[in-house]
Amino acid sequence: MAGIGPALLNSLDIGLLLFIIAVGLNIVFGVLNIINFAHGALYMLGAYLAFTLINLAGMPFWVALLLAPLGVAIIAVVLDRVLLRFIYSRDVADSLLLTFAILLIINESVRMIWGSGIHVVQPPDLLAGSVELLGSPVSTYSLFVIVVGLLMLAGLWYLFNRTRIGRTMRAAALDRDMAEALCINTRLVVTGVFAFGAWLAAIGGVVAAPMRALDPGMGDKIIIESFIVVVIGGLGSFPGALIGALILGFIHGFGGRYLPEVNLLLPFLGMALVLLFKPNGLMGKGAHA
Amino acid sequence: MKKAKIKNLLLSTAAAITLGAANTSYAEELIKIGGIYILSGSASTYGEFAQRGINLAVEEINASGGILGRQVEMLYEDSQGKASVAIQAARKLVYSEEVDALVGLDSSGVAQGMVPTMPELQKPLIITHAATPDVTGDLCNPFTYRISVNVAQNMKAAAMVAAETDATHWTTIGPDYAFGHQSWEYFGNYLKELKPDAQLMSETNFPRFGAEDFTPFIDRVMNSGAEGVLISVWGGDLVNFVRQAQNRGFFDKDMELMFTVGAATEVLTALGDQMPEGVHLSTRYWYDAYDNEVNTRFVKAYMDAYGSAPSYNAEGAYAAIYAYKKAMEAARSADGPAVAKALSGMSLDAPNGKVTFREEDHQAMVSPNWGISGPMHPEHGIRTLTNLRIFDGEKVARSVEETGCKL
Repeated sequence: MAGIGPALLNSLDIGLLLFIIAVGLNIVFGVLNIINFAHGALYMLGAYLAFTLINLAGMPFWVALLLAPLGVAIIAVVLDRVLLRFIYSRDVADSLLLTFAILLIINESVRMIWGSGIHVVQPPDLLAGSVELLGSPVSTYSLFVIVVGLLMLAGLWYLFNRTRIGRTMRAAALDRDMAEALCINTRLVVTGVFAFGAWLAAIGGVVAAPMRALDPGMGDKIIIESFIVVVIGGLGSFPGALIGALILGFIHGFGGRYLPEVNLLLPFLGMALVLLFKPNGLMGKGAHA
Repeated sequence: MKKAKIKNLLLSTAAAITLGAANTSYAEELIKIGGIYILSGSASTYGEFAQRGINLAVEEINASGGILGRQVEMLYEDSQGKASVAIQAARKLVYSEEVDALVGLDSSGVAQGMVPTMPELQKPLIITHAATPDVTGDLCNPFTYRISVNVAQNMKAAAMVAAETDATHWTTIGPDYAFGHQSWEYFGNYLKELKPDAQLMSETNFPRFGAEDFTPFIDRVMNSGAEGVLISVWGGDLVNFVRQAQNRGFFDKDMELMFTVGAATEVLTALGDQMPEGVHLSTRYWYDAYDNEVNTRFVKAYMDAYGSAPSYNAEGAYAAIYAYKKAMEAARSADGPAVAKALSGMSLDAPNGKVTFREEDHQAMVSPNWGISGPMHPEHGIRTLTNLRIFDGEKVARSVEETGCKL
């Protein structure tokens, strides 16, 4: 079992990337009560914007990591003000329908702007190649992904537990009317939270770009994975997103190595098992949705 | 309110009927061909590249007077990579758009589902990409043709290449559906015939199509002790696979690596010099392999229009339109059954040489290309293929008895 070390690191790298993406989905649901189908499309936009900034505008990766998510957040503000604000007070099903439409529009726009070909982004020189760790070569970039994931985790925990903005968001999630009565500008909070969720998705996209090929279907793939994460972890739960993402990361990282015959089945098996015993997910609250 | 609705309905019905009638008279002047490709999602590159090939053919044909004096018009539908969607699309194209013929299909799964419905539609279909042997085998029918290389042909060529190497222990990594599994199955059977001491390892690797992270499978292959690996991962997955394998030192291991669709130009373009040198790459058509007039014209037109080397998928689609031109002219009509009949046994000059649709199973006798990845092409920005081998299409095809096709 010499392969356990690499398998562990690989699982963490898949899991923490999924966490960055899925946690945005969860925050948006938790505060706005919207299941954002277009979350994967925003992830894709992050990756394509990074590709444009790096390969076409010649910017360094680090600048793209800063700018591309901001760009996506701005797009999210527009989406929120133009489309989503009409459905916040309506049934969850309406948000599914609308965000699905947004997903289709973004997918088609990406195809029109960047074509349907495959694009790649090179990792920055600093992160190219591999290092020796636990007796086998580990790509430097996947260590970087793990570090980014852990930083995001710490940052988000701090935001929600230690800052005023985080508390405001939580207040708006718990009781919007009461928050309003306390002079919290909930309209601003709503827009801010949606943009923040999109920003997280785009961070995931930029971080994924140097290790995963860009194509117009990449958003669809990641949204399925993200939904599996939130089903396992519990919709709307912050620790749930972490636990769900790590479990799915381990399913991929170990399943592919040790149970390759059933690797197609494993994520769904994991999901089914969780649903069987904890229908709201491992960290899900009762009849929240 | 209600009256207005009924009036609207009547008006729009009337308009539809008039338009429909206008359409029919218009249709008599046009040859309509329906194309069914993957036009959305991650594999949509393939649909787009097929469209490029078709557009070139249609432009050329229309500029030189069309088919039977009629201009050609293309109508496209998205298969979304699903058989049920493709069947609906075919019915729509045939019954409401009244196309005369069909081209298309990118996925083996889609082809297996759609081909059995062709006799019902009574229109010919030329498959330009999907490679499952079944559609010109067990599932063959009088209306279905394939102009591109199938898995059986390519794997016979692959086995011939593999048998010449020193590797005896072979494993595979391929997508977990018909294409990956059939590639391994045919490769294994042919290799056993050619080199009886070859060992097919029971440890195989079939990651999910679109898996994104192939690292677990890459590690498994590296630790398996395999001396040769058949890699049938394709498209964006192949780009991911190669980059992740590069990171793990996969290419530094002493293994014979055979990429069954590795020389697809879209993949080579995306990878650039990240595609390692010295591995076996195959494609159904290599743009640089054929020195004939049709190929020279096709490659030049493609480069002028799109600025890159044409992919096999564009070539197959391009040739298919010309096949219809020739068949319709031979049949002196665009009538479905007549054109289908004219295609049988017909030969045409395609970019990849003389292509013949075998009468017995309607599979084109086309040649798989295998080569070894060489230095970067100075202008095209992709790896060159050295030691290029063009296998005789006739010799690598299954015998008619083997195909199981009864026409």
